[in-house]
Amino acid sequence: MIKKTFKRGVHPHIPGGGKKATRDLPIEDYVSDSVVIHMAMNIGAPATPCVKKGDPVKIGQVIGTPNGFMSVPVHASVSGEVTAVEDIPYLGTGNVKAVFIKNDFLNTWEDHRPLGDVEQVDPSLIIPAIRDAGITGMGGASFPTHVKLTFPEGSSCDTILVNGAECETHLTADHRLMIEESRRIVNGLRAVMRAVNVPKAIIGIEDNKPEAISAMQEAVSDREGISVQPLKTKYPQGGEKQLIQALTGRQVPAGKLPIDCHVVVLNVGTCAAIADAVTEGKPLVSRLTTVTGCVNTPKNLRVPIGTRVEDMIGACDGFSEEPGKIFFGGAMTGIAIPNISTPTAKSTNGIVALNEKDARSLDETACIRCGRCVAACPIGLNPYKIKVAADASDFETAEKLHVMDCMLCGSCAYVCPARRWLTPSFRFAKDKITAERKAKAAKAAAEKGGANQ
Amino acid sequence: MIIVYAGLLLGVLGLVFGGVLTFAAKKFHVEVDERVNQIKECLGGANCGACGYAGCDAFAQAVVDGKAPIDGCAPAGAKGIEKIGKIMGMEANVGERLVARVICQGTHGIAKDRYVYDGYKSCAVAAGLAGGPKDCRFACLGLGDCQDKCKFDAITMENGIAHIDPDKCTACGACVKACPRSVISLMPESQNVIVRCRNSDVARAARAVCMDACIGCGRCKKECKYDAIVVENGYARIISEKCTRCGECAAVCPCKCITIE
Repeated sequence: MIKKTFKRGVHPHIPGGGKKATRDLPIEDYVSDSVVIHMAMNIGAPATPCVKKGDPVKIGQVIGTPNGFMSVPVHASVSGEVTAVEDIPYLGTGNVKAVFIKNDFLNTWEDHRPLGDVEQVDPSLIIPAIRDAGITGMGGASFPTHVKLTFPEGSSCDTILVNGAECETHLTADHRLMIEESRRIVNGLRAVMRAVNVPKAIIGIEDNKPEAISAMQEAVSDREGISVQPLKTKYPQGGEKQLIQALTGRQVPAGKLPIDCHVVVLNVGTCAAIADAVTEGKPLVSRLTTVTGCVNTPKNLRVPIGTRVEDMIGACDGFSEEPGKIFFGGAMTGIAIPNISTPTAKSTNGIVALNEKDARSLDETACIRCGRCVAACPIGLNPYKIKVAADASDFETAEKLHVMDCMLCGSCAYVCPARRWLTPSFRFAKDKITAERKAKAAKAAAEKGGANQ
Repeated sequence: MIIVYAGLLLGVLGLVFGGVLTFAAKKFHVEVDERVNQIKECLGGANCGACGYAGCDAFAQAVVDGKAPIDGCAPAGAKGIEKIGKIMGMEANVGERLVARVICQGTHGIAKDRYVYDGYKSCAVAAGLAGGPKDCRFACLGLGDCQDKCKFDAITMENGIAHIDPDKCTACGACVKACPRSVISLMPESQNVIVRCRNSDVARAARAVCMDACIGCGRCKKECKYDAIVVENGYARIISEKCTRCGECAAVCPCKCITIE
C-alpha cells in the first residue's frame, strides 16, 4: 500500500524512536490512593470547583462546572472524600484551583445513563453527550472536542481524520490503544460521523506500528466509509496540519483551522473516550499514559485523571537512575514538570524521565547559516531568521516571518548543528505576540464601549 | 608618461565631482534649527526610546516643534533638562533625580526554589513555566530581561536577583517595562530607606516561600513617628514625601526586609 506523508520533517535518532521499551507491553490498570484534579483541563476558561472539603464524591461526579462554550466540566476520577480545594502551581503561568480526593477504593460510580448503540442513537444527542463527558483533545492540546465538532456558520466538513500517527518519541499509549481497543476507537469514530453527518473517515497510522495498522484494518472491515491509511514514519507526522496534508493533500492556510479545509482531526484516544460517553454514558475519568525513560519497569498505564507522577513512577518500581528532567509528553514537544507531585491531566499522553546525561542543555553557539532548519521545518518557515528577530525582541519582524504559524514541533532545533535554542525563542515570541494582540483587542473593545455610551 | 596622465585624469575628475557636490550642498541646503543640535547635545545619547520617540534626534526635533515636553528625556538628568529649558527659553521644572530600584531580596537560599531552570534565558519565559522557578510569585527571577534592556550598563545579576547601580541608572524606565514580575520601580534618589518586598500573600504563605518576605506585621508602622508607612495588601510601603530617612523602621523589622542603601 502507498505510504503517504508531508514535505520536510525529521527522523529523531533515538533507536526505535524510544518506543521499544513499552511498545509490546499490554495496558495495565493502576489506581493510586489519592488524586489531585486541577480545573484547567482545557484550552479556554478553567472550570469552577463545585465541591468543598469533606464532601463525599463518586466516580464520574461533576466536581468542576464549565465556564462558557470553550470550557468542559471536570469529573471526579476516583470515589472517596474531598480532602482539600486549593490553588496549586501548574505548568503554565500562575496558579490553578485543584480538588484533592482521597480514594476509598469502593469504586462507586455516579449514576450514568448509556445513550445506546452508536449506530442507533439519535445523532443530535451525541455532541451534548461529548460536552457533558468533559472530553477534550487527548493528543496534547486539550481543545474541547464539542467545540471542534460544532462547525462555524458557513463551513462544512467532508472527511473526519483520525490521528493514530503517534510520531512523538517514547510514547506508545495510542499504539497500545489501537491494538487492544480498536473496537472502541471505531465506535467513537462512528458516533462522531453520525453526529456531524459525514460519511467518510480516514485513520492515519505510521508504518512503524504494523500491529496497530492490522488491528485497525480488522476493526473497520465491517464499517462503511472508514479506511486505514499507513503513513511514513517521520516527525511531526502527527501534527494536525501535517496529517491533513498527508491524508488529503490539502494545506491549511496560515492562521486558519482544519475546518476551513473541510476536515476535522481527532486523536484515537479522543475517539475511544467518545465511545465510552455514548455507549456507556461514562465521562472521561481515566486515560492511557506511557511511563518510560529511566524507570525500572516502563509501562503503559491506565490511570485515573489527576494521578500524581510520583505514584505512577512508584507503580513502575521507581527510577533506575537519578532523573535529570521529567516531561509530560515525548522528548520533542514534552513540557518539563517542576516536581514529581505534579498531577496528570486529560492531555498527559506520556511521562518520560530522562537521566541527567540525556537531559543536559547544551550552550548555544552562533548560527552558521547552513539552512538545515529551513530544510527541516514542516511548515516551510525560515527558523534562523525568526530566531534573530525574536532574540532581539523585534516581534514585528518575527510576525512578518510567520512565527505565529510555528507549531513548536522542535524539528529545527533538533537538526541545528550550532545547537541554537530555536523553539524556546519562538514560544517566547508567540506568547508575546498573543499577549499584544489580546491587549490590542481589549483596548479596541474598551474604545468601542466608550463610544457607545 | 602613462602615470602622469592617470594622475591628471583623476585630479580633473576630483575637481569636477567636488564642484558638483559643492553646488548641490549650497543649492539643496536644508535649514536645521540650530536648537535641535544644541538640545541633542544635552540628551542621554543612547537612543533608548524611553521618551517615546524613535531616538534622540527625533526627540530633539519634537522638543523644538513643541510636541514633546522639555523634561521628556530621563537620561538627560536635571542638568540636561535645565540646559534644554534655557535653549528653549522655558522654565524647566526639575524634580528630584529618580533611580530604579529592585524590590526583592530573594537571592538563592533566601527565596525557596521551586525547580532548577535551565531553559531559555528570559524571565518572561521562565515565569510561564509552572509559575516560575522560585516559589514566590512576586520574586525577581534573576534571568536578566531588565539587563538586556538597560542601555546604560547599570544592571548586573547577582546571586539570582537583579542589582542596579544607582550611579549609572538614568531612570529611563526600560527595565520597569521589561520586568514580567514588576519588581523594579523608580524612586527618588534620596529615598534610601526601602521596603524590599511586595509579597501580598498572607504572612504564613509569604514566609513559607522566602526568608526575607514582608509579612505585613506593622512593626515599622508603629515605630514610625512621621506616619510615613502604610501597610496594605499584606506588605509595608513607605511614603517618600513624609519619610525623613531616619531608619528606625529598618532597625525593628523582624524580617529584615527594610534596608538602608
